[in-house]
Amino acid sequence: MNINANYLAVVFNSTIRMMTPILFVGLGSALCNRVFIFNIGLEGTMLTGAFAAIVANYYTGSIFISLLAAMISAMIVSWIAGIFMVKFKGAMLVVGVSINMLISGLTTFLMQIIFGVKGAYVSTDLVPLHKIDVSMLKQWPILQTMFGSLTYLDFFAFILAIILYFFLFRTVTGFRMRSVGINKVAAQSLGINADRLQIGTVAFSGLLSGIGGCLLTMGGVTMFAQNITAGRGYIAMAAATLGAAHPLGVVAGSAFFGFAQSMANMLQNSSISSQLTMALPYLATILALAIYNFAQIRRHAL
Amino acid sequence: MRNQSNDVILRMENIVKCYGSLIANDNVSLHLNRGEILAVIGENGAGKTTLMKVLYGLEHPDKGDIYLNEKKIQIHNAAQAIANGIGMVQQHFMLFDPFTVTENIVYGKEPKKGLFFDLKKANQTISELSRKFDLPLNPTTKIQGMPVGLRQRVEILKVLYQNADIIVFDEPTAVLTPQEVHELLNTMKRLAEAGKSIIIVTHKLNEVMEVADRAMVMRLGKHVAYRNIADTSIEELSFLMVGRHLVETEIPEISPGKDILRITDLCLTRDGAVPILDHISIHVNAGEIVGIAGVSGNGQSDLVQCIFGLQKADSGQILVNGKNVFNCPVKEVRHSGMAMIPEDRFIWGSAAQASIAETAIMGHYEKPSFSKKGFLNIRTIREFAGKLVKEFSVKADSIAQKTSSLSGGNAQKLIVAREIRQNTPILIACEPTRGIDIGAIQFVHDCLVEKRSEGAAVLLVSSELSEILKLSDRIYVIYEGKINGEFKRGNVSEEELGLLMVGSKKL
Ligand SMILES: Nc1ncnc2c1ncn2[C@@H]1O[C@H](COP(=O)(O)OP(=O)(O)OP(=O)(O)O)[C@@H](O)[C@H]1O
Ligand SMILES: [Mg+2]
Repeated sequence: MNINANYLAVVFNSTIRMMTPILFVGLGSALCNRVFIFNIGLEGTMLTGAFAAIVANYYTGSIFISLLAAMISAMIVSWIAGIFMVKFKGAMLVVGVSINMLISGLTTFLMQIIFGVKGAYVSTDLVPLHKIDVSMLKQWPILQTMFGSLTYLDFFAFILAIILYFFLFRTVTGFRMRSVGINKVAAQSLGINADRLQIGTVAFSGLLSGIGGCLLTMGGVTMFAQNITAGRGYIAMAAATLGAAHPLGVVAGSAFFGFAQSMANMLQNSSISSQLTMALPYLATILALAIYNFAQIRRHAL
Repeated sequence: MRNQSNDVILRMENIVKCYGSLIANDNVSLHLNRGEILAVIGENGAGKTTLMKVLYGLEHPDKGDIYLNEKKIQIHNAAQAIANGIGMVQQHFMLFDPFTVTENIVYGKEPKKGLFFDLKKANQTISELSRKFDLPLNPTTKIQGMPVGLRQRVEILKVLYQNADIIVFDEPTAVLTPQEVHELLNTMKRLAEAGKSIIIVTHKLNEVMEVADRAMVMRLGKHVAYRNIADTSIEELSFLMVGRHLVETEIPEISPGKDILRITDLCLTRDGAVPILDHISIHVNAGEIVGIAGVSGNGQSDLVQCIFGLQKADSGQILVNGKNVFNCPVKEVRHSGMAMIPEDRFIWGSAAQASIAETAIMGHYEKPSFSKKGFLNIRTIREFAGKLVKEFSVKADSIAQKTSSLSGGNAQKLIVAREIRQNTPILIACEPTRGIDIGAIQFVHDCLVEKRSEGAAVLLVSSELSEILKLSDRIYVIYEGKINGEFKRGNVSEEELGLLMVGSKKL
């Protein structure tokens, strides 16, 4: 029984670590959905954050500056994408995909120039994110396993979800954001600068995805690999959809994918072929979205 | 008569607004006195809405000035108009369906408590406001599912909440039931008495006579006349609008043929509870216009949607020339020989981004004359669209123009033209004259009568009783999803119909 409980605690812990990068990006995606922007560029901005974090860390050795660099760089890229989507009315899908391809190529190229390596860069000189000290939980080893080796950012992701919940549903700015998503023409005719609100939201979602990217490279192992995000931006968008663009719903959606990812990692040690286990999170995404959409269609048909 | 002072609150001088080569407003001037109701009337596309949009900052005039209390002002956007005390209830409501009444009204000027939206205070304010102006509404209900009359009330309260002194209504009565119209006109009078100055754009001259103090007539982008209501008549106003005297539609006597459309025991319930259509049995013969009279919301929209396959009914039979099309897909229903003028021109009738030519064949593009083996025959389509535009005098620059750039009434005319000209044996016409000017109404009526005289079956659904009475050879009254009476032409008065429509038993 004890072994079982311990096993569950390990799964729990790994789920949290897998889900929080997705959660940050998912919250950004949810905000975009609320203002009726389909921001597929989050994959690219997350990668921007991940890369900027490692570069800043490499040069300064400060994790704080590293995080700041991730946030700002991702926000700028996203802000530009937002201008293209809203001001110049570019097709959102095209703008998003362009950003993703550009960043993917650019980071691979810069990695070679700056670190002189191909594929992946790992170094022990890098300073990782601070871990939360759980030594006070000594008496409860299970709890210690559950919450061990988590960073402050992991913890903050959940706080942020709650803050954004209050922001969206209790503040005037949140109210106006939702209104723009529902009926932009009406919002404009009532004197709201809807364009600015949309671009601002896209920029902010970029900032969040930057945090997610930083967590990815500076959380567990401090490393950067070519396209390290590996579709997590897309998965985060799926999490936002599953969570009905509600911050707390996004927590649930991200938890689902975090769990799928951690299961995939665990199964890697088993006899199942690794190609199959690696595909697990993505299969879960497709399956979850299919079921979700099916349920939606059923509900509307009634 | 209200005690209106003659002090001018608003003057618009020599407004010019062009869309490309089209001059929508050509040196238009307007003045509005404090506490008066000014009616702006004119044919479809005369430029009424454009002028109001200029006033509300939604369009920028190419030339011209606006003076508020004799002080020149600049209005670049809606926010500035609102700040200057100008409010507008637009032709198409600007509401957020998932939000509550209060949230919609306080939008843009939300009360705050610290960082947060103070919803409690907002609800309170709105309760008070609705009591003060005698416009009852529950602040916490959602807009979704509200009848049009109430939605409009939300719009009015919104303008009042913004503290507007000048309130513009653009075709406010087009979509209202007679009861709602009556209430609205009373509201407007009350507001004027409370010192608000009101501009109303409308096509209904009897409303103008009832509520307005003065009328401004526009034609082809120019203002052609001002009249004091006390010194004018409906006849004079309509002459000024269309520039000619209208002749009554002649309805020749013909004997109807066999029943082309026969509906038996059509039933529809929603959520398995209340019946929406309750054993409806009606028929329409060849060479007959059959009117369905009813207060809107009594099932007529659902009836039409069920007939046309836009909604699935629970049970019943719909025979077209003896063939059952019950719950068939729309395409099949259309192929069986039915055409329909939908009640909402923008939701059902057209796509805003499509060109006029595209709109002109929408739903009929598979006809052999328009396409062969999946390829569109552009030349015939253009010719056809051009013909419709000319024949129905749709005011447009070219047929390549977007449908959304047409004035409301012109878009309606285009859709009516499309459906009438399909030469189908059955035509379902829902509110075919909604929002079009009296000259065009006359024309559409003539077309419907002509179609019927050629032997087609026409089912007319309209909330305009006068229209039903004038055109129908036979009338069904619908009330709460049931047929509550059937009459031949001339066998029923407007009063009797009115009573049956609100549920009184058969006379
Ligand atoms: N955005 C636009 N682009 C091009 N033309 C336009 C645009 N908006 C309006 N127009 C044209 O300007 C003219 C005036 O339109 P407006 O909407 O002011 O007419 P209206 O008097 O309100 O008519 P209705 O009674 O049918 O509502 C019309 O011919 C219309 O086609
Ligand atoms: Mg108009």
